[in-house]
Amino acid sequence: MSDLKTITETLLTGDGEKVAELTQAALDAGLSAKEILNQGLIAGMDIVGARMESGEMFIPEVLMSAQAMGGAVEILKPLLSDEDAAGGGTIVLGTVKGDLHDIGKNLVSMMMESAGFKVVNMGVDIDPDAFIQAIKDNDADILALSALLTTTMPMMAQTIKSIEESGLRDKVKILVGGAPVNQSYADEIGADGYAPDAGSASKLAKALLA
Amino acid sequence: MYDRMQELGKEQMTRIHDASMDILKNTGVIFNEEEALEIFKKNGFRIDGKIVFFEEKDVEQALKTVPKRFRVYARNPEKDVEIGEDDFVFVPGYGAPYVITPQGDQREATMEDYDNFCKLVHSSKHINMNGWMMVEPSDMPHETVHLDLNLSNILLCDKAFMGSPVSRAGAVEGLEMAAIAWGGKEKIMDKPVSVSLINSLSPLQFSDEMAGSLIELARHGQACVIASLIMAGASGPVTLDGVAALQNAEILAGVTLSQLVRQGAPVIYGSTSSAMDMRTGALSIGAPELSMNISFTAQMARFYNMPSRSGGGLTDSLFPDAQAGIESALALYTAARNGINFMLHSCGILGSYIAMSYEKFLLDEETCGLIRHMFRPTPVSDDSIDAEMIKSVGIGGQYLTHPKTFKLCRTELYMTDLMSRMNYDAWTKAGKKRIDQVAEDKVSQRLAAYERPDIDPGIEKDLTAYVAAKKNG
Repeated sequence: MSDLKTITETLLTGDGEKVAELTQAALDAGLSAKEILNQGLIAGMDIVGARMESGEMFIPEVLMSAQAMGGAVEILKPLLSDEDAAGGGTIVLGTVKGDLHDIGKNLVSMMMESAGFKVVNMGVDIDPDAFIQAIKDNDADILALSALLTTTMPMMAQTIKSIEESGLRDKVKILVGGAPVNQSYADEIGADGYAPDAGSASKLAKALLA
Repeated sequence: MYDRMQELGKEQMTRIHDASMDILKNTGVIFNEEEALEIFKKNGFRIDGKIVFFEEKDVEQALKTVPKRFRVYARNPEKDVEIGEDDFVFVPGYGAPYVITPQGDQREATMEDYDNFCKLVHSSKHINMNGWMMVEPSDMPHETVHLDLNLSNILLCDKAFMGSPVSRAGAVEGLEMAAIAWGGKEKIMDKPVSVSLINSLSPLQFSDEMAGSLIELARHGQACVIASLIMAGASGPVTLDGVAALQNAEILAGVTLSQLVRQGAPVIYGSTSSAMDMRTGALSIGAPELSMNISFTAQMARFYNMPSRSGGGLTDSLFPDAQAGIESALALYTAARNGINFMLHSCGILGSYIAMSYEKFLLDEETCGLIRHMFRPTPVSDDSIDAEMIKSVGIGGQYLTHPKTFKLCRTELYMTDLMSRMNYDAWTKAGKKRIDQVAEDKVSQRLAAYERPDIDPGIEKDLTAYVAAKKNG
């Protein structure tokens, strides 16, 4: 148990090498991959998320922890069942057609990955059909759309409309985010949720699938 | 470097100097203080009644012995401060009789307020020195309150502090208390542990309290600001240039006295002269003329190789609102940027010195932090540029996950404690608070978290006994 606690604490410092070492050592000591993932790593990222929200941790530190988490998950992956590896579910995420911004979206992607989701990060300038295909291919639980420009926000509405027409709307929850987006816009275009920052996005994703 | 703020050429500064010399030689300055007059007389100055006339050579002689920089020693040696040249300090507000509450009500200040401001200074990241008479407590006897202020300064805060120039006797008592704190008068004779504010009485006078305090403080090696506060158009000329010449004459008269008392006594060239509002007759310290004069003051002090004082977070507004923010930030920024070394009134002042505000204290403190950060030089080295990193991140990459960003994210960029950087939704969720409301919350948190600094119990006992004895005597 103390090994897991050490993993959690080390994850908070963002020291990826040390987290990987401790993860391997925990496996060697006979702990299960699932235990290490849930009680060591994800427990740590829950703390990271809370500290990010309270302003105690800065974004580069959060990302360093997230990367450390990613490294450790690579070690655990071969030993996890598909179900355990996907943890909370599968998320398809991307910036909508016409918009080339990706820093915020990548931040969301990393936060969701480290919260235990399988994330398919499609990149930027993604048209509605490509999103639909990705939802089908990955059997996604959540679609997360990003837009930074007021001129590309309408593409969010259009993407959602296309998904409705494809008959997939009931199968996925849709999250939207980006600087000009707000809750009332999310409601207006029929999204299931809106998050103002990466920390709350992963929290919201968890809540939607609970 | 190109700068739109008016830079005085040597010729212009010499013209101001010459005008001051003319005023000092032909009109003179009144010193309402016996010993001051004796000192001038003994040194061969021409005197007529209480008016002292100065020859340029006497002023030049005094200027030769003024230190261009000095250190003020704090009770906690880690908090010693350097004043002069590139080094500057932020010092809190001074002399306010009232406190303005978060609701905008004005009430008389109390000793508890004074102690609270000592606590805020002690726990401040950005205020470098403790003040004096930050508020004037109405609940303490006027004759002895300076003892209480000195005691709180020493006990509640371990930073360097300002001294009491209320009167010659008051200055001596302040010196005696500092001597107790430092283990003997001989320990502070060559070591400034306080900076006191000596104001002229414009135009061209020094009161007995101020001149007497100056003599005692200079004699004991304690630093003094010698300052003029002219209201352009009322207690001085309406033009800024005229103000510069008049205040220069007053300041140099005080400086000359200090060096006659003791060569090398640390003194600071000071002014917060500003304008009178021509519609109401009120002093305006939110006026742009204040900032223009701050710049002139810094330049004239450098002309004489002296440290300078001006300030601060000054405003005419009676509430920590946008006006207070604009006026205070302009004056503080101008002072820091133009090279003022001792920024009195850096935080807390409202209503043209009439009141202190806890919330305004925090706002100004934040401004001091921003300003200190702005004037932090960057190295411009190969390492600080790091073209290799820029090339390796390449086109369309990102720096958020770069180890260098991780390493420097807490130290390289200024982190605000007060300014809102939230998006609309987060701001709404947090109650749509204005900055004065955010500050109000933080004031209580700061005061609740305050811990009194350690002090030798023997020293504390002696100081307390000294104050009690003086009050009973």
